Amino acid sequence: MDESRRIKEHPIFGITEEKKEVHFTYDGKDIVGLEGEPIAAALRAAGVMVHRHTKKRDEPRGIFCAIGRCTDCVMIVDGKPNIRTCVTPLVEGMEVKTQYGVSDRPAG
Amino acid sequence: MNRYDVVIVGAGPAGLSAAIEAAKNGMKVVVFDENSKPGGQLFKQIHKFFGSKEHKAKIRGFKIGEELLKEAYDLGVEVVLNAIVLSLHGEKELTVKVNDEVRHVKGDAVIIATGASENMVTFRGWTLPGVIGAGAAQTMMNLNKVRPGNKILMLGSGNVGLVVSFQLMQAGCEVVGLVDAAPRIGGYGVHAAKVARTGVPFYLSHTIVEAEGTDHVTGVTIAQVDEKFQFIPETEKHFDVDTICLAVGLSPMSQLLKNAGCKIVEDPKRGGVVPEVDELGMTSIPGVFAAGDVSGIEEASSAMIEGRISGAAVSEYLGYITKEELEEKIKVNEAALDSLRQGMFAPKNRGKLVEKTDEGIDVSMNLLKKGFVADEEIERFPGVTHRVGIHPVMECTQNIPCNPCQEACKKGCISIGSNITSLPIVVENSSCINCGMCVASCSGQAIFLVDEDLGDGMATVTLPYEFIPLPKEGTKGKGLGRDGKPVCEAEVVSVKNMKAFDKTNLLTIKVPKEYAMKARFFKAV
Repeated sequence: MDESRRIKEHPIFGITEEKKEVHFTYDGKDIVGLEGEPIAAALRAAGVMVHRHTKKRDEPRGIFCAIGRCTDCVMIVDGKPNIRTCVTPLVEGMEVKTQYGVSDRPAG
Repeated sequence: MNRYDVVIVGAGPAGLSAAIEAAKNGMKVVVFDENSKPGGQLFKQIHKFFGSKEHKAKIRGFKIGEELLKEAYDLGVEVVLNAIVLSLHGEKELTVKVNDEVRHVKGDAVIIATGASENMVTFRGWTLPGVIGAGAAQTMMNLNKVRPGNKILMLGSGNVGLVVSFQLMQAGCEVVGLVDAAPRIGGYGVHAAKVARTGVPFYLSHTIVEAEGTDHVTGVTIAQVDEKFQFIPETEKHFDVDTICLAVGLSPMSQLLKNAGCKIVEDPKRGGVVPEVDELGMTSIPGVFAAGDVSGIEEASSAMIEGRISGAAVSEYLGYITKEELEEKIKVNEAALDSLRQGMFAPKNRGKLVEKTDEGIDVSMNLLKKGFVADEEIERFPGVTHRVGIHPVMECTQNIPCNPCQEACKKGCISIGSNITSLPIVVENSSCINCGMCVASCSGQAIFLVDEDLGDGMATVTLPYEFIPLPKEGTKGKGLGRDGKPVCEAEVVSVKNMKAFDKTNLLTIKVPKEYAMKARFFKAV
């Protein structure tokens, strides 16, 4: 697990509490995250920036509001498109895929 | 259909405070919140709050959230999470989607405390991954404990932009600069000063030209703007960053009230489209109240009081308390609210340039333009005095509603008086015992303990320090000026941390005595 983005120690919170690790896949790649954290947090910790590509212009999009309001971070989770990854808790074995429009593969 | 005395929408500071007040008066209360955790934005606020004791000043936001939640649960308030209120209609009926199920509930009264959402601003590349809201940054780092980026540029110098910049540094991120199209810093000067003294440059009258990168942010270009906010050619500055953070204001989330048919007005002083409300927060629909940011953007401290007022108002509306009891509660709360709405940042002063303090002292223009009070300006403020031996130096230069320092000093060295927006003064003939409580209690991190002359050509400066790694006694480095630039050699001679300091470490550095009134931060080398 790439740990560089995780905050291990914080001047106010102290040492970050350890959480159970879970495995999930991102576009078929095995990634380790923490149980119950938002999918988006696990992806950001793993260095993933692009969550989806827009339908008309194929533009990349990622986390914007992180509170489930803007819907920019939606992805295909366990086969279901338009899942807001910033408010959906990570569960062992989840299949997370980049969303293209509302499909799981690039157009054309 | 489930029935309640009062249905509250939003479990943030206003909603929870309203629920507590209503439950205390014996009402059956339910609070719906769309999030999986209650508390609204309070759990992302890790700084000490301003105000006075009644406003829970000097307590960190997330602790206030914990206290509110505990109180609500102890009183039997039902908090339903993952609950999206789809509609409010007719006789105070609501449809609520809880997980995958839709429920109908009815309240004899309804309090809407839905808060606010972040504004955004567009520029070339603004949709690139890596451009995020300041709230998103707080969520990522303070809740999820994941750094949103490594090198970050902040757009917006209101309190959110200033506070989040500081928090990003606390989380271990590098903030390359703070940018605002306005010619002056919008938030509290003390928030700006604690960022500036670490060396973060401020670019006022600047905004973003472009976010660079193909599939995520790899850089940003900013440029200066004129009075009409048009770019001035050849003023571009480039930064390598992986994240751009937007803190460009908040807008009330009043859609639910609008859909319910409440009278809505556009009021820039209240932050946008807001419900018309009476002095108790009741909208044009009898029994439907609004409290907190949804009826006007302010601080969480104000939202808590507004919540209490609306909780008391619904109690009286439904006959749980008498009119006299309500009036008594209103008197107390209105006074608390009123004290928060005084000073330079009062709602009535929004957008205005205040040039003099209430005391008639010229405001530091350097603070408004660069984020720090210049060396030649600092001496004119009443908290900055000189005396033999250790003494507090309070670099509090704007009238903001805050007074924990006054109570922190058990020796009576510090006085603000009854008007909590007054600048603190050093009381004559009082004796400082170097306890450090004032330094730790200052939510603005603006108090220093200074011994200007140790007799050997050296001086000591004790400063608040909330970063890791915490320097150790004997660590050598540089003393940084208020502008964050190295001014002298410095050595850490003491590091104090007590429970009462609540995570604010007190770092005492030894510097040549000519820098006693200049060195305000420490950087190990």
